[in-house]
Amino acid sequence: MIRKAVCLAFGVFLMIFESSLSSFLPLEVAKPDLGVPFIIYGTFFLSPAEGLLAAVLFGFTQEILSNSPAGALVFTNVALLLSCIFLKNRLYIESRYTFSLVCGAAVLSESFIFLALSLLSKGETKNIYNVLVFSIPDAIMTAFISLFMFRFFEQLKIRYMSRV
Amino acid sequence: MKSTFVIIAAVLLLVLSFLLFTNIAVFQRGYGNAKYHLADGVGPVLQVLKTPTRSVSYVLDNYVNLIDVKRRNEELKKKVETLELETQKIPELEKENERLKGLLKLVEQQPNDLIAARIVGEDVMNWFKCVIIDKGRYAGIKEKMPVITPSGIVGQAVEVHDWHTKVMVVNDTNSAVDVYVSGKNARGIAEGTGQTALKLKYVTKNDEVEVGDKLITSGKDAIFPKGLAVGIVISVNKNRAGLFSDVDVMPFNNFKKLDEVLVVKR
Repeated sequence: MIRKAVCLAFGVFLMIFESSLSSFLPLEVAKPDLGVPFIIYGTFFLSPAEGLLAAVLFGFTQEILSNSPAGALVFTNVALLLSCIFLKNRLYIESRYTFSLVCGAAVLSESFIFLALSLLSKGETKNIYNVLVFSIPDAIMTAFISLFMFRFFEQLKIRYMSRV
Repeated sequence: MKSTFVIIAAVLLLVLSFLLFTNIAVFQRGYGNAKYHLADGVGPVLQVLKTPTRSVSYVLDNYVNLIDVKRRNEELKKKVETLELETQKIPELEKENERLKGLLKLVEQQPNDLIAARIVGEDVMNWFKCVIIDKGRYAGIKEKMPVITPSGIVGQAVEVHDWHTKVMVVNDTNSAVDVYVSGKNARGIAEGTGQTALKLKYVTKNDEVEVGDKLITSGKDAIFPKGLAVGIVISVNKNRAGLFSDVDVMPFNNFKKLDEVLVVKR
């Protein structure tokens, strides 16, 4: 339990580090969504409860580090988690490449969930272009980073989590 | 069974976050309080991370420059590498010196009205534009205070915590600034697009707005004081349906290159 908490804390630290780093480096074109690999790994390889915890924690952290409207990113992360729960028995993640592909697709679906939320609740369309422009590079970047994160999760699982 | 509970909890959270998103006051207040207390922990971490990330940035900048030099000067590679390393720091320091001089000049003009701050973080999502500065409530910053540089406006403080403040940049899609076209009798609203350029809205086709015109704040939005530089008009399109022209504005500030800013006390 403590090790899982440490893993989540590491994820939060990564997000804060990304925020700090992107103010110095030109990361504007593609910013990875570091919460997505945690949610997907938690749901598919651990349990939906862990996925839910990751979705809420990372959604909340993203809202703290972003100018997003209240509730928007928690909503997209939890909606993503629900999709993962329903796909758990239908989608087989066999390697880090499949995991990376699923993470990329998840970032794309997050964008569409956010747009649907904005349209349904506020009727807003002014952010559509902005969200669509960045969704593909963001998805590619997240997919690339999740290759390494999968390795990290697997190492952690072999070394520690399987013993819990 | 456990999975069913998780699904129920997730659906409840989904409904709750939807209600939050729709700005229902009761939910907003509770969520705002929780967020305020939890976000206080982020400021010190960002402060600590500031130094190593600046070093990483410096090293990467140097590395990129060295590759460029290497490509152009194969024969003098070794010599140029050494010289570059020695001299690269000087222009950077000169630039910083110039920037700080500008800030100091502004602070000296109005010593009690400005708070100098450094950028320590940026929005983690591409969909929104905000920066995080290293001064907060303890430094006297309050919500809706304008944030500027000697070049022009940056944005406004939207979330103030004890040690840090979130600043909504003017190119965020939720940002709007009331502006005048300098030297002309035209007024409009400069709205963020999420991209680098801003859109100047509600400028009628009869208004004399031309490419190269400078925009200044009008002071009528009750956030930005009158007369601050906003940006320069880069395109005007009057050949479109409707009453208003389509005007693009380039802000004077490059928001990706900001290091220090000033918060205007009100």
